[in-house]
Amino acid sequence: MKTPISRRTLLRGAGVAMGLPWLESMAAGATPAQPQRFAVLFMGTGISPGRWWAKGSGAQLELSESLAPLEPLKAKVNVIDGLFNKAATGQGIHPAMTGNMLSGVPIRKGSIIQGGITVDQLLANHIGQETPQPSMVLACERAMTGFHETNFSNAYSSHISWQNSDSPVPNEMYPSLAFDSLFENGGQLRNASILDRVRDHAQSLSRAISGADKIKLDEYLASVRDVERGIERMRAGKQKAEEQARDAGRPLFAMKRPQDGLPEDIRDHIRLMCDIIALGFQMDKTRVASLLLARDLSALYYPFLGVSKQHHGASHYDTEPDYQKIVHFQVTQLAYLAQRLDAMKEGESSVLDNSVILFLSNMWSGTKHDNKKVPVLTIGGLGGKLQTGRALNYFESGDDNRKLCSLYLGIMDRMGVNLPGFGDATTRLAGL
Amino acid sequence: MPRRTHPVSALFVLLLAPLHAQPEHDRAFAQSVRPFLATYCVSCHGPQSPAAQFSLSAFTSPANFLNDARRATQVLERLEAADMPPKGAPQPPPAARRDAIDWFHAVRNNEIRRNAGDPGTVLARRLSNAEYNYTIRDLTGVDIRPTRKFPVDPANTAGFDNSGETLSMSPTLLKKYLDAARETASHLYLKEDGFAFAPHPMLAETDRDKFAVHQIIDFYHQQNTDLAAYFETAWRFRHRAALGQPAASLADLARRHNVSPKYLATIWQTLEIPEPIGPLAKLQAQWRDLPKPQPNQPAIARPGCEAMRAYVANVRKKVEPRFINITAGAIGTAWQPLLIWKNTQYATHRRTFDPRQLQVQGEPPFNQANVVEPEWDNAFGPGKTILVENPSGDPDLFVPAGQRPRYEAAWARFCSVFPDMFYKESRGRNYFKTGKDEGRYLSAGFHNVMGYFRDDQPLSELLLDEKQQATLNRMWREMDFVASINIRTYVEFAKLGTRGTRDDFKDGEPEVGDIEVDQIVSEPKLRKLEADYLKFANGGSPVAIQAIKTFFNQANTSIRWVQQARRDAEPAHLKSLLEFAARAYRRPLSPAENDDILSFYRDARARSALDHESALREAVVLILMSPKFSYRVDLVEKQRAVQPLSGYDLASRLSYFLWSSMPDAELLRHAAAGTLQNPEVLKAQARRMLQDPRSRALAVEFGANWLDMRDFEQIGTVDRARFPAFDDALRQAMFEEPVRLLLDVFRRNRPITDLLLAPDTFVNPPLARHYGMPPPAGDTNTWTHVPDAAPYGRGGLLPMAAFLTKNAPGLRTSPVKRGFWVARNILGDQIPPPPPSVPELPADEAKMDLPLRQMLERHRANPSCAACHARFDSFGLAFEGFDPVGHRRTHDLAGRPVDAHAQFPKGVEGEGLSGLRQFISQHRQPQFVRAFAGRLLAYALGRSLALSDGPLLDEIAGQPSLRFETVLDKILASRQFRNKRSPL
Repeated sequence: MKTPISRRTLLRGAGVAMGLPWLESMAAGATPAQPQRFAVLFMGTGISPGRWWAKGSGAQLELSESLAPLEPLKAKVNVIDGLFNKAATGQGIHPAMTGNMLSGVPIRKGSIIQGGITVDQLLANHIGQETPQPSMVLACERAMTGFHETNFSNAYSSHISWQNSDSPVPNEMYPSLAFDSLFENGGQLRNASILDRVRDHAQSLSRAISGADKIKLDEYLASVRDVERGIERMRAGKQKAEEQARDAGRPLFAMKRPQDGLPEDIRDHIRLMCDIIALGFQMDKTRVASLLLARDLSALYYPFLGVSKQHHGASHYDTEPDYQKIVHFQVTQLAYLAQRLDAMKEGESSVLDNSVILFLSNMWSGTKHDNKKVPVLTIGGLGGKLQTGRALNYFESGDDNRKLCSLYLGIMDRMGVNLPGFGDATTRLAGL
Repeated sequence: MPRRTHPVSALFVLLLAPLHAQPEHDRAFAQSVRPFLATYCVSCHGPQSPAAQFSLSAFTSPANFLNDARRATQVLERLEAADMPPKGAPQPPPAARRDAIDWFHAVRNNEIRRNAGDPGTVLARRLSNAEYNYTIRDLTGVDIRPTRKFPVDPANTAGFDNSGETLSMSPTLLKKYLDAARETASHLYLKEDGFAFAPHPMLAETDRDKFAVHQIIDFYHQQNTDLAAYFETAWRFRHRAALGQPAASLADLARRHNVSPKYLATIWQTLEIPEPIGPLAKLQAQWRDLPKPQPNQPAIARPGCEAMRAYVANVRKKVEPRFINITAGAIGTAWQPLLIWKNTQYATHRRTFDPRQLQVQGEPPFNQANVVEPEWDNAFGPGKTILVENPSGDPDLFVPAGQRPRYEAAWARFCSVFPDMFYKESRGRNYFKTGKDEGRYLSAGFHNVMGYFRDDQPLSELLLDEKQQATLNRMWREMDFVASINIRTYVEFAKLGTRGTRDDFKDGEPEVGDIEVDQIVSEPKLRKLEADYLKFANGGSPVAIQAIKTFFNQANTSIRWVQQARRDAEPAHLKSLLEFAARAYRRPLSPAENDDILSFYRDARARSALDHESALREAVVLILMSPKFSYRVDLVEKQRAVQPLSGYDLASRLSYFLWSSMPDAELLRHAAAGTLQNPEVLKAQARRMLQDPRSRALAVEFGANWLDMRDFEQIGTVDRARFPAFDDALRQAMFEEPVRLLLDVFRRNRPITDLLLAPDTFVNPPLARHYGMPPPAGDTNTWTHVPDAAPYGRGGLLPMAAFLTKNAPGLRTSPVKRGFWVARNILGDQIPPPPPSVPELPADEAKMDLPLRQMLERHRANPSCAACHARFDSFGLAFEGFDPVGHRRTHDLAGRPVDAHAQFPKGVEGEGLSGLRQFISQHRQPQFVRAFAGRLLAYALGRSLALSDGPLLDEIAGQPSLRFETVLDKILASRQFRNKRSPL
């Protein structure tokens, strides 16, 4: 009686499927290509018009007061004016302006929500398989459901990342859980404890049977063991790589696990989320992140700014100093993340240089609920693939030449994901 | 033609009891058979690139042949048919051939005698992809199909993907199993009395919302609130004798006409108890004027009933109560407590009316101008209250002087039975512009924040019986229990602090940003917010103050309830988990297995710090990952070679045979009672199961594998530019046709020869058009039975478009493939694969110089080709009257007239489909029956056939009645089916 499939075949198949974590190959002394990362940060209900502009380029780039926090990084920034998302116009205010920011497809009114996969998740599908976690989707404000009076679901206001046309990606609000899922390999640990039990099941069943039946079941058992070993290898690899990196004096950005629960102060909340993204990028735990700083219809308060209105309420007076304070605060958070990444050296450059952070809002003006154009910033050069330090304006280029989705196509191109079209665009943004 | 066979299969052929050849057989083998094979066979079928990939070089002893029944049978068949050695090769003397044939028979018969009915080796195996999907469907109640991204399962030598011979496991597949288990578990949601699975994942709040809202909306939509339907059903009751149903009760008619029995009784009374004045008197007059039934005019009362419905709607509108917005101190009309107050007024007054609207002789008219609403000019709404305006002198509202009380009572009776609305399914901010509310299901009408509101009192009170009321109440509780809607709504509200919804205009104390939900909804916090609210409401009317208190009390009650209910439900969830495991394992759990699952759950909570729901979900993943679920292992005592299957194993064998899925509760009850081994019980269960919708799996999984059309739904060989009629709908219909016929034969216990010889088939509109039949009225889901399809050249499996299309390479027909399919799949001929160097036929019929028929004749002129092709080409030529997508034709694609004449084996002449059928019915019917029974047996057992199965198949083929159940009963009663051989 021959064994139906040799053990070696099983193991050979498994080795290919498992792959090696990036860190392990780094630890082994190879010099890997620096991975490219993508982060998108979103703030709802627009900026403070008149206080959001840039002029010139490079070292001469002049930034407006809202963008002042980016001053130290301005050579790595692009301020892109005049882009819009056609599917988000003319449908009604708020949720209808938000649910497709990153997908460019029309969204559906009424009780069945329907949108499209967003650029971050599409990237995660393409490049996310190379990291332990394909993407992280974080939020500093709780999601709403129910309906806005435009008959669009409030869910559109609360989620910027969609995994498919039916469901947004659930937002992670808890820094502690985001941390665990990224660094403790939460999912893998859970799989490990399931497989551990399943192995017991298979063994006890195997004891009760004989001959060829046993061979069939041992095939299962061998598969379980193999996957378990893969998980162990991954965890061991992480530890080993961390140790070697430390021994080699490579500065590994350290972060303590955040406390359970939600931070009461929005400032702490956003900083923790930015730290987790930074660390996740540096350790190549993930290459795609999305962070909702303040959702559309945001109910965040900023008492520490001396602003008594809620974010959304304040946006109805968007040229007043109060709203400017809020915008300035959020841009400061963006700058914090960018500086964190810039401080992480990666070869000759920094993690920021190998990344792109996209910042955008769903409106230009909250007072007018105007999204004929939306504010867009990029920070980081994608490993030299994206030129930076520029002020670009597409507002007069014609509607076909100022699509947000054209920008996404341009970014995806630079990350090795070449698609014929995305959302409502089939052309790349000219001059990006 | 790619066959999904797997190299492993050859290793699992027949692990029977030790093989014994008789000594005289050994002698004869050495003296004559082996030299015979060496002389006449091995020169072609030797070790080096054997002809037809069929080598005899390893066959050096009789035991080799016994070990490989399939090959032995093939040698014997070819020797008997005398087409091997082929023409042109050295031929053995007839006596030598005779001796060899006799030897094979003798050895075979000896073996068959010894082992007849042996259970054979049915290996432990994982569920096939199809079985996994069906099982998940029956286990969870929702059709998730988690294996849709799995690699295709390979088939065994019998052509089925349901045996351990080919179903294997690998680490890559195991990871897909993990994904599949997680996907299934993501559909889980917790209920008050256990858990269940939703049709979509339930991880995101939006998904939970969607689920909770839609189950209520779906429930609403299932209720019949069409008044005309009630009037008409009442009319049927009045005329029940004339309508031929003298004994029908109101309840009977309600059920038949899909209206609420409870409300129908109310309507009947309302129409029949005479009312002297008011709107009811006028309605009753219309009721009495409805026409009497007339022959052949079933809808004669409908227009009158619709007029009555219109009357009610028109009159009802004129007296609809309106409630003016209220404010309290600094608190505006749009603040949630006051808006909820307003919603509540409407929701609780739908069966009342506004008496001010009655126009009483001598009373001053209702002066609208005196009604002043606060914040009338509020641009942000919640909707100005537009008052109902009726011009004076409306006869509907007329009340004679001094009769107000009498008329008010009459109006109250009318309005109590006819509410202004049965339920409000959507609501906007602008209360009275309902067109803008569409799709905001169950919305409370808040501005920019979430909120739901229940408004279905009339439906519940008037239409629903107690059970339905309980169902609807449960669904509303599940809004909170499943989707946390009360808590999430309150959190959104509380974050606004005392700013209500109009933070732009009012000052107040903001709450801090996000903190833990548990804190926000805690009673002290909630009461603190209430106190703040009351402070701002200072000076408000008692009604408004009470509205605020009620709002907070209700929020508090509902939040405390859901917190408590969730804690209380945890034991029920664990009980549900163990029941789920028992159903997944298809047998009761041992105490150790109960402990195993519960301890895993506790570990997940303690060690992995998961919450209750996540830990339960992990436990569900564990159960689905356990080989006790994903494998079918028939347990036997190791010492005994052959023994009866246990009740549970037999239940699984039966259910995976007929349903490709797990046993249901009834089957498991029989398993527990030990009654399944009783052949009569087994038979009765099989009868019951065949009539169950799940037996469709038998037609799809057995049928499609048997007929080699498993991948037809993805077939891509058809050139759609050349055959524009071939679209996805037609392709789907083609696949469905044989499934329908098979099911009909199975469920109506028809003779199995009907599959080939009956004149009937099933069509839907696209297929009917393809066949040139008058299409049935309806959509693609409308299938109709065509009792006599012969005028259209159809009937039975043979001329079905699916097979004609699948067995054509695209732009031409293929008599070879079509004929091969008949010989191999229908008649069960064993035909070796073609040699690697067969000449290619041109791909496009339109570009051929000669008709296909003549090209094939040339091919058959080569004797080594003819040996096989003579056995099936003629069957395929009989189909030449059908083009590459199974459309009937008279000319081929090059414009030549087609010729469907065929010379069948043994020189029988025939013409087209009818000729083929005649040939089969006269010459090959027993062969078909035996082949069909053999395939069904292999499928039922989950293994390839063995020599020892021969007697059973002979017995079946020898039955006088060849109905499906006869075949089925023989299989169920067989030793093979009810026993297990301990594998070596």
